[in-house]
Amino acid sequence: MDRSEVEQRVNKVVCHVLNVDPELVKPECHFVFDLGAESIQSVQLVAAFEAEFGIEMDNDAALKIKTVGTAVDFIAASLQQPQK
Amino acid sequence: MTMTANQPARSCAPASPAARRPLDFIFSPRSAVVVGANASPGTVPYDIFHNMLISGYRGTLYPVAPGKANICAVKAYRYVTDVPDSADLAVIVFPAEVVERALEQCGQMGIRSAIIVSAGFREAGPEGFEREQRVKAICRRYDISLIGPNCLGVINTDPSVRLNASFARKMPEAGRIAFLSQSGALCTAVLDYARDKSIGFSKFVSFGNKAGIGEADLLDYLHHDDQTDVILLYLEEITDGRALVETARRVTRGPNAKPILAIKSGRTAEGAHAAASHTGSLAGEDVICDDLFRDAGIIRVNSIEELFNAAIMYAYQPMPVGDRLAIVTNAGGPGVMATDAAVRAGLSISRFAPSTTAKLKAALPAAANIQNPVDVIGDARADRYMAALDAVLADGGVDEVLVILTPQSMTDIEQIAAGICQVHDQATKPIACSFMGATDVVPGVRMLQEAHIPHYILPEWACRAMADVQKIRQWRQDRLWRSEPIAVDHGTAKAILDRSGEGYLREDEALGVLKAYGLPVPPHRLCKDADEAVECAAEIGYPVVLRAVSRQIIHKSEAKAVALNLIDANSLRRAYDQMRGHIAAVMPQATIDGMLVRGMIPAGHELIIGAKRDPSFGPIVMFGLGGIYVEIFKDVTFGLAPLGRPAAGCMMRRVRASQLLEGIRGGAAADLAGIEQCLVRVSQLIADFDRIAEIDVNPLIAGPAGVGNAVADVRIRLRA
Repeated sequence: MDRSEVEQRVNKVVCHVLNVDPELVKPECHFVFDLGAESIQSVQLVAAFEAEFGIEMDNDAALKIKTVGTAVDFIAASLQQPQK
Repeated sequence: MTMTANQPARSCAPASPAARRPLDFIFSPRSAVVVGANASPGTVPYDIFHNMLISGYRGTLYPVAPGKANICAVKAYRYVTDVPDSADLAVIVFPAEVVERALEQCGQMGIRSAIIVSAGFREAGPEGFEREQRVKAICRRYDISLIGPNCLGVINTDPSVRLNASFARKMPEAGRIAFLSQSGALCTAVLDYARDKSIGFSKFVSFGNKAGIGEADLLDYLHHDDQTDVILLYLEEITDGRALVETARRVTRGPNAKPILAIKSGRTAEGAHAAASHTGSLAGEDVICDDLFRDAGIIRVNSIEELFNAAIMYAYQPMPVGDRLAIVTNAGGPGVMATDAAVRAGLSISRFAPSTTAKLKAALPAAANIQNPVDVIGDARADRYMAALDAVLADGGVDEVLVILTPQSMTDIEQIAAGICQVHDQATKPIACSFMGATDVVPGVRMLQEAHIPHYILPEWACRAMADVQKIRQWRQDRLWRSEPIAVDHGTAKAILDRSGEGYLREDEALGVLKAYGLPVPPHRLCKDADEAVECAAEIGYPVVLRAVSRQIIHKSEAKAVALNLIDANSLRRAYDQMRGHIAAVMPQATIDGMLVRGMIPAGHELIIGAKRDPSFGPIVMFGLGGIYVEIFKDVTFGLAPLGRPAAGCMMRRVRASQLLEGIRGGAAADLAGIEQCLVRVSQLIADFDRIAEIDVNPLIAGPAGVGNAVADVRIRLRA
């Protein structure tokens, strides 16, 4: 899966979970400050990413994901690793 | 409430254009922005916005909620910078990790005040501490007055403002009491408690971590708040004790004086860690707090119950002109218990005028007690209560009245409550009630509470509250705590201190500093050898004292580095040689700077005057019974340096041993004025020189009046 597809699918998940307008979602957007994610929605986001991409996200690593761009980076890197 | 969707919540005319103080922007904002609001009821970001909306806020309200079109039907903005107005106040409810970004935007928008409700700062460990430091820096850069972080928020019940910027469940009733609390959780409990007792508030502030505005700023603000009569304070830690004391003195005295009642929790001994000096080890934080709060006019209480018991007594009743209490009761036992409690609390029991007892005799049955406490007898109904109440209130020797009721089968509780309410409306003297019980008395109690007549379940609590109000009255009558200028040789003291490094001053230098500040230092000289010591002793006159001077020897008697009552040259030489030999044998590492020869001091009371630089209160002084007893009895008091003479005298009278000084059982009185002077001068010394960390004058020998006082030993420790 190329990076632009990852980005597109991340944006779709973000819009769905946070219920925000797609126009607002940019790579530099902070989930809380720019998109208004509440604490419960952060958990929902991680679960939705895992389902969308068929990956498992480590809790500590997931906590470090603060922006849409870092989520794309993290997921793209996870997809390139050999599946267990 | 009528609300148009997607419009600012409310708008009203701006408040008076008169110069506004920084805290006006917090308590009376003309417009406010809630930064980080969301649409999920039951969460702090939602509840705060919702509370502000439904409390009837008179200003304009803007939610900042990224990704949301509106919150509670009010148009929302993505960023603070999108809000089409520069608000007075930002209430920040974002998670801690983005608070700095939000605050920065507030600064850019010219917002002058902020309440950061969010947790995750200093209280959450090193990372949170650093975050709080960055928040402080942003506030300094943009001149933002900050409440919080980690707090419940702020409530102002002023009808012209109606601000509930908190996540408390309900807006309290308006009242004349301001409540300030470092604990947010306690605030909600207090609001619930107060609602049950019909207690209203003027301002209600949870100030959390105090990264910006602290207790002293709030007290200063409330001093000038015309909605507030009494201030209640719950503190866990004191940010700047000196500022607190100095502000409290202004607030509690003079024109527009308002009492401050405080709970300072954490009564532990942690602050009194082991220290080399007596002053250090005796000066535990809690002990200092007790004394310095008292000196500031702050009434320190031990529980929330006592806090409100006293507050309603003060806020709802006129200030009594004296402390003479009359008790009216329908039960002998509780009357006697109340009498005991009143006397224990420091109140006086009135003695009625003959005209009063005559009135009581005429109105009450023969079995009634017409002396104080007036017992109207168990079968009394409202008519007897009213007759007794009228009689005692009219007595010129009665300053305040306590009405006690126990519910007998014939007691018409509600009629009695109604009668008391009627009398209370006309009365110029304070009235408190204690309707004892938990079920039958409830309707009557409710009537009293609604009429703002202080009610207490137990008469003892009523007496305690009345006694707390007496403390407020007496404090206002005391002389002002001014420190008058005193004549000292500042230059000589400075010269000695300037040439000394960190650590303890050499004994002769310490004595020189005290002498320069006018303390009674006996004649002395540091001698290099036995011949010089003998020569010095001849000048001073025998008998003399010999003391080895060494920075390594802190406790001289334990090191046998002191010899007393040396009556001639031979005994002096012998003592000199023995002392040098002993020290060389047991403390070979000690450097002897010389041997101090000093005149003998006549016997007297051993006192301690200490001083230290407290991290919170700054320079403070200590006074108490000294010598070897100081560590055992801990009979010491503290005061803020510099002291005036009235304050010094007050400190002296507070120690239990002061009776010894005044002369008991035929003993001669000490030179009290001289001791007072010593205390004033030591307090001036530590206040004048920032380098002095600690002073221990221990003992100061207090001789009888006419003989005078003398410094027998002193240690002064310097900072780097």
